[in-house]
Amino acid sequence: MSLVANITALRLRMGRRRRAMLTALTTLVLAGAALTLMVGQSLTPPLTVLRVFLGLESGGEAFTVGVLRGPRVVVSALAGMCFGLGGVAFQTLLRNPLASPDIIGISSGASAAAVFCIVMLGLSGTAVSVVAVAAGLGVALLIYLLAWKGGAAGARLILVGIGIAAMLQSFTAYVLTQAPSWSLQQALRWMTGSVNGAQLAQALPLAVALAVFGGALIALRRDLETLRMGEDTAAALGVRIGRVRLVVICAAVGLVAFATAATGPIAFVAFLSGPIAARLLRRDGSLLLPAALTGAALVLLADFAGQVLLPARYPVGIVTGVLGAPYLVALILRDHRKGGAL
Amino acid sequence: MTETVLQIEGLTAGYGAEAVIEGMDLALPRGKITAIIGANACGKSTLLRAMSRLLRPEAGQVLLDGAPVHAMPPRTLARRLGLLPQSPIAPEGITVLDLVSRGRHPHQGLFGRWTTQDEAAVAEALEMTGTADLAERLVEDLSGGQRQRVWIAMALAQQTDVLLLDEPTTYLDINHQVEVLDLLTDLNRARGTTVVMVLHDLNLAARYADMLVAMAGGQVVAAGPPAEILTEPMLAKVFGLTARVLPDPVTGTPMMVPIGRHAAPAKDRT
Repeated sequence: MSLVANITALRLRMGRRRRAMLTALTTLVLAGAALTLMVGQSLTPPLTVLRVFLGLESGGEAFTVGVLRGPRVVVSALAGMCFGLGGVAFQTLLRNPLASPDIIGISSGASAAAVFCIVMLGLSGTAVSVVAVAAGLGVALLIYLLAWKGGAAGARLILVGIGIAAMLQSFTAYVLTQAPSWSLQQALRWMTGSVNGAQLAQALPLAVALAVFGGALIALRRDLETLRMGEDTAAALGVRIGRVRLVVICAAVGLVAFATAATGPIAFVAFLSGPIAARLLRRDGSLLLPAALTGAALVLLADFAGQVLLPARYPVGIVTGVLGAPYLVALILRDHRKGGAL
Repeated sequence: MTETVLQIEGLTAGYGAEAVIEGMDLALPRGKITAIIGANACGKSTLLRAMSRLLRPEAGQVLLDGAPVHAMPPRTLARRLGLLPQSPIAPEGITVLDLVSRGRHPHQGLFGRWTTQDEAAVAEALEMTGTADLAERLVEDLSGGQRQRVWIAMALAQQTDVLLLDEPTTYLDINHQVEVLDLLTDLNRARGTTVVMVLHDLNLAARYADMLVAMAGGQVVAAGPPAEILTEPMLAKVFGLTARVLPDPVTGTPMMVPIGRHAAPAKDRT
């Protein structure tokens, strides 16, 4: 067999492996959605769920599935995809798993702005999303400028970002204490993220963000993959570094900010999705789609665990936080051993 | 008189306020192997970066076949001129096949489908560099010499007429250094590729290169065939080094032996 035939066969094999993993991830997302639709304080059989969506059911079941659980599923899946995509885009661009928007303060910025708008200015809906996106971009710019020293080195950017994140989180906490109708439920949403009380109206901006920003990222996936070889190599391969970087940062910030405006900064979903997807697929081909699916599966399953599996009911961000924290520590320790980024 | 492929005219380039290279003129011959030599921080890498438009010149220009490289669209340039940076770092978890395939990036359109031509180029690159057996392996699991061959395979898959390499032999054992330079010579002979590389080992540079460019302080001190360039006065001027230059017993090219302060024939040491 010729070498060309050999490597084509190898490529096909790797492609099959990738498709199998994508199918598995999609199944996981659907399983999470089905579980959330069926299981809560009451059990709803699959057939009844189906009948609700076909409009054949009315009354209690219709309310539970159609109004309480349905929107929760849609918002969870969309927000999860936004977080997953935004996270992996940043991690790929900056070639560091720590460079995720929820670690370097971009989620915190969007979250702080959203809280400020809701509590202090009495805004809601699209206005909050717009301000959250603007704040996310502002924080990204601020970190970039502060970390800039004749080139934005990864490690400095991450350290500056972690500092900014801490400042913004205390600002959020402060604003929450000033809230007239301050409630624990609301506080938790803006501190760790929650899909409690999700409404279908929240899904539309998320879907639009996913289409616009996600679409931009997908269009640039080859350039992003090539950028992983390092900026010099990528430039020598014809990638327009400056333009790609600008579009990727804007799109990723947009995704994360829109999702944060809807659900609060669901802890570590952006941070975890990419690395989990990478582990599942090995690292050939773009991680964008796998990370989006992983994000959706993470939010759905973690929310299900928080609502049903654990003794008390916890918002999704608490569950993902518990999952993400050990990984963050492990990553920092590993980088430290390698004498790497930090 | 050989034809010029890369023409550097009055080039001034650097980082920030300080110009590393100032007003440099240089012509590089087509289809030859050129080695750039000089002490650390003399502007060798800066020159390569400016030639491959990674660095915008503050003055002057670089012409590839008469056309200024900084006015070319990046992809167009990347189809004609390749650069392998100094010790590139492979991303985690990437296979050899995937990394080498990245070399096709400039040849693929916006919706670029992978063509049989792309596949043939990758296969040829793997074959020439002897890395076909490694195709499925992860780059991070390879030895230093294998890894460097894989990076060169990526640059070969790019199929450019001109290939610039920044210290392609650094951190390699001597056997792997020779292997890499043999490989580049194969490439030069088989495809007529113009090879321009920064090298630290002067004896290997003299042996493998058709032309040596000696740089100091951001200027070209001398350029020409190794026999004319690698001389005792030049070593003193460029490196501040006292050395003897003898004919290489294998090839007859100049070979330098540094003297240093403690040199004494071995028989005198007891």
